[in-house]
Amino acid sequence: MSRSRTLSIGLVALAVALGLGAYWLTSNPEEDRLQASVSVADAMSSDTTGYRRAAESREFTFPADHGPHPGYKNEWWYLTGTLNGPDGRPFGYELTIFRFALAPPSDTTRPRSASDWRTNQFYMAHFAVTDSAGQAFYADERFGRGGAGLAGAHADPLRVWLEDWSMESVGPEPFPLRLRAQQDGAAIDLTVRPQKPRILQGDRGLSQKGPGVGNASYYYSYTRLATEGTVVSGGDTTQVTGQSWMDREWSTSALGPDQEGWDWFALQLDDGRDLMYYQLRNTDGSASRFSEGTIVGPDGNTTPIARDKVTLDVLDTWTSPDGTHTYPIAWRLRIPSADVDVRVTALLPNQEMDVSVRYWEGAVRVTGSDTGRGYVELTGYGDSAASPAS
Amino acid sequence: MLYRSSLRYLTRHPWLMGLSVLGVALGVAVVVSIDLANSSAGRAFELSAETVTGTATHQVTGAAGALPDSVYRTLRMEAGVRPSAPVVEGYASVEGDERTFQVVGIDPFADAPFRPYLGTGPGGDVDLGTFMTQDAALLSAPTADEVGVTAGDTLRVDVEGTQHSVVVGGRIEPQDERTRRALANLLVVDVSTAQALFDRQGQLSRVDLILPSDDAEQTTALERIRAVLPEGTRLQRAEARTQAVEQMTRAFDLNLTALSLLALVVGAFLIYNTMTFSIVQRRGLIGRLRALGVTRRQIFGLVLGEAALLGAVGTGLGVLLGIVLASGLVHLLAQTINDLYFVVEVSALTITPWIVVKGGLLGLGTTIAAAIPPAREATNAPVSTVLRRSTQEASVQAMAPRLALAGALLGALSGTVLALTSQGIIVSYVALLGLLVAAALLTPWAVMGLARAARPLLGRLFGVIGRMAARGVVTSLSRTGVAIAALMVAVAATIGVGLMIDSFRGTVEDWLTQSLQADVYVQPPSEVFRRSTATLDSTVAARLRAVDGVASAYSVRRAAVEADVGPTDLVAIEPGPETEDVYRLKSGPPETAWPQLQNGSAVFVSEPYAYRHDLAVGDTVRLQTDRGAQALPIAAVYYDYGSDLGVVMMSRTAYTQFYDDRGVSGLAFYAEEERDVDALIADMRAAVGGLQDVLIRSNRALRETSLKVFDRTFTITTVLRLLALVVAFIGVLSALMALVLEREREMGVLRATGMTPPQVGGYVTLQTGLMGAIAGVLSLPLGYVLAYVLVFVINKRSFGWTLQLNVPPDVLLQALGLAVGAALLAGLYPAWKMAQSSPATALRDE
Repeated sequence: MSRSRTLSIGLVALAVALGLGAYWLTSNPEEDRLQASVSVADAMSSDTTGYRRAAESREFTFPADHGPHPGYKNEWWYLTGTLNGPDGRPFGYELTIFRFALAPPSDTTRPRSASDWRTNQFYMAHFAVTDSAGQAFYADERFGRGGAGLAGAHADPLRVWLEDWSMESVGPEPFPLRLRAQQDGAAIDLTVRPQKPRILQGDRGLSQKGPGVGNASYYYSYTRLATEGTVVSGGDTTQVTGQSWMDREWSTSALGPDQEGWDWFALQLDDGRDLMYYQLRNTDGSASRFSEGTIVGPDGNTTPIARDKVTLDVLDTWTSPDGTHTYPIAWRLRIPSADVDVRVTALLPNQEMDVSVRYWEGAVRVTGSDTGRGYVELTGYGDSAASPAS
Repeated sequence: MLYRSSLRYLTRHPWLMGLSVLGVALGVAVVVSIDLANSSAGRAFELSAETVTGTATHQVTGAAGALPDSVYRTLRMEAGVRPSAPVVEGYASVEGDERTFQVVGIDPFADAPFRPYLGTGPGGDVDLGTFMTQDAALLSAPTADEVGVTAGDTLRVDVEGTQHSVVVGGRIEPQDERTRRALANLLVVDVSTAQALFDRQGQLSRVDLILPSDDAEQTTALERIRAVLPEGTRLQRAEARTQAVEQMTRAFDLNLTALSLLALVVGAFLIYNTMTFSIVQRRGLIGRLRALGVTRRQIFGLVLGEAALLGAVGTGLGVLLGIVLASGLVHLLAQTINDLYFVVEVSALTITPWIVVKGGLLGLGTTIAAAIPPAREATNAPVSTVLRRSTQEASVQAMAPRLALAGALLGALSGTVLALTSQGIIVSYVALLGLLVAAALLTPWAVMGLARAARPLLGRLFGVIGRMAARGVVTSLSRTGVAIAALMVAVAATIGVGLMIDSFRGTVEDWLTQSLQADVYVQPPSEVFRRSTATLDSTVAARLRAVDGVASAYSVRRAAVEADVGPTDLVAIEPGPETEDVYRLKSGPPETAWPQLQNGSAVFVSEPYAYRHDLAVGDTVRLQTDRGAQALPIAAVYYDYGSDLGVVMMSRTAYTQFYDDRGVSGLAFYAEEERDVDALIADMRAAVGGLQDVLIRSNRALRETSLKVFDRTFTITTVLRLLALVVAFIGVLSALMALVLEREREMGVLRATGMTPPQVGGYVTLQTGLMGAIAGVLSLPLGYVLAYVLVFVINKRSFGWTLQLNVPPDVLLQALGLAVGAALLAGLYPAWKMAQSSPATALRDE
């Protein structure tokens, strides 16, 4: 029997070997998702060569300057506003469209393409609605190429759009301007009209942000625009009226290496004054000397505010649910030279824009020596040390 | 003890057992290899489809493979459909690499939800500055290494004959083997780059969508999207497209599988033969065992056990051999699919446990099934008769007419099935198998008749030895019958398949002669030979038409469109005075059909298209066009052997009316009377030099190329045919060896009665030669029947083609020579061995 046993064992061994072989040959997993990472050539995006810089003050011309400035790396059309429903229900909104250049316009090494999808410009947009009564905050972000009609900007007629989010002149003049955007659960359809003349920020529109020539932006604002239209929050459409603020800024580089972010106030006071103040923060937490502000009187005349005329104290903070970002949400702001001593409080603490760059942008209430409302933007408060536009 | 006796028997006849094992192994190997090659090609296609489809659930496509990019804008900007992503697809070859690359053009801002592995989108690693602002491509890191490029280098890319430079914008690092395979032939570019490469400004291949999985939500989403889609666009499930493409090769795959099974059938004959022989050899032993009290059941088990052992070893070897064979076959298969259907790059075999198990079960099952008749024979005989051999031979001879009758009945049944059923390829193949078995059953009876008829002739030629050889074939009918049947089936199979290929080729040749009447043909190089939708550069076309000596030029456009019956190849022609001679109508009155085609009020369909979709003259096809769905009556069905998928043909006028596409896939030129065609071709080449690298060929050159592709597409069938022949040869070798070895005693007697070794050798050779001749003669009618069934039933049902059956005499002569040659060759070793044997040893029984 030993031979047959040997044979049986041999056969079993053969079968096992064949089985194992088959398993080995077939053990490539079939149902897994495809997995890969991408390695690239040295990124060129941080290079500023070939772009124009905001090095000196310039003549602004309109409506041309409402349109894009593709020679500069970054640009934005920034609108925020505080609104009220018929029963006084308060809302806030933000609609910002950013433009970025992927390559300098002067770069002739890149062959032209017959495709109208080819572009060296892309757009990003942020849209948020704050509904403090409904305790709801909606925020969303979109990207799109500046080609094939998907996103873009032009001055006359004024139209800035990223797919179906847009700012578009209603008539032949730039204003009234219609703002439209929607996302799951929230939407706006608003028309804004300036109530005060356009003002140039900084030195005749040149706003120095960091040390060195060119670390600056061109910056103008409409600080008070009458606003009406509809807001959708949680599926409910509300007729609203209120006030908006529009900032236009373009630059190639702004912040210096020691600056980590900013606290930016755009406040509309009930006495008719509007107050803009940005405090750039150094990495050590101190306020940068490049911080500055402007007070716009009811008639539109402007008063610059130097950094040393302002005292800003944080009264309260809020930490994001994941614990990674802590933002101030209440301040005492004092500008004795302008008789301002106010408390600025967030309408909702959680107005964090949790998008590709996390920052806080929210509607605030002003109380104290003056009352009013406005918007505050806080950047550089967590892992990402930059603005959404850098 | 039983096992030991069994084992000793098996080890004592190593050659015989070895050949049997080899026969099974080859049979299984052929089946497994075809199965593996088929499924590997299928998997490779699925993987590449999955790679570019990504997580899309639905896709929006255009009427003729092109979708205006305004559709994407509408979806994003008016309907707010997200996620959605534009895709521009195509094929290209890269300088320094043999492969065909799939080029997929994407928008990095929209693509991340669909193809996250590409690392595009915000937060991804792709440097958009490079990717979007110039002609740049991402490719997988292993592929980049093979091509020898790194990020920042320039690739030379060829699209339909036009050269482009593309910068390597980045390397995609696959994290696992499957991803490596999936990305191996992929070039990822921006939509803008893809539009430029494929000259498709303003067009997309499709828009990918991810819709909610919830039924109600999905229905709402579908309605919302359909409401904004323009006429002619189509919204369908993502898998539907992949499945439709896979469907194209179904009939082709099925036929390959059936042919591979033929090899296994021949292998089964072999096992039957070996087992029968082993029973006969041990007749005495079995008789003694039975006499000693071993039960029938035990004997039955013993025989089946031996068969299972042989089968297991053979099958195991066969599976391994099949894997080796498949790695060669898969490239032939991929080539054929590329020539006929669609682009597929198979970088490696995909071996699934199921295929291995299937092949194993098939091999073992066939072996055991083939061993059952001999096992029953061993157990059923009473003890006393088992000890006698002559009883059995006598009974086989007595049974031969009854077997023949059974064979005739089975043959009639199979014939009836073939005649009465009109569809069903599998049924046809089963009936074909029935015919083979019927022929095998008829064999013993036929052998008796033929051997008797041959006896006087052999006697006159070779004297006593000749007569003895003829008689010997009949007296050992139980074994010679099987050996001859195996050889006959194998030879008939090669005749059948050979005649089928010959007939097919002849038909295609006639058709090519008829349809290639123009003097010069121009087309851009294309990835799929038979279904080229490549576009001729408009400058090239204009320059060619203007070349001196061109009398007339006709354009043809090939486009992939959607019809109510599924994806359809549409051909648009410019009918001219010569056109009616170029096409042969199968049905439809030419005098009314041509004018209808000309004025665009009707279309023609090719024969396979009519068959595939059960259409006839008078029916309508509904085509998706840029003007919405159009129902077009069929005015004629015409013969076309270019594509088994079939085509719908319309006039260019109608095409221009229904589709926005203005491209041309090819041009046919008639030269002026006096113009030398070769000189014209040279002038044409000179006229378009430096532009698109188009193929400019005379009608003869194009016919030769077409036939070369035809031959290439039949390579795999020819390989199968040869493999079946090898299995058959091994079968005959082992059958004859068994036969002759078994008659050692008889030879001993012959030697003892005074025959010289050369005489014994001559006797054996003569006998095997006679068997070969009988098998050859019998295989001729069977081969013809097989070819008839393959040409008029199987091919018709698989592809819808009308073929003319050509029977060139040389194929028949070859078959006869093959049979005799194989038999003689197989008889050499036994003859030599017999001649060498000492009569004393041979006579000593056991």
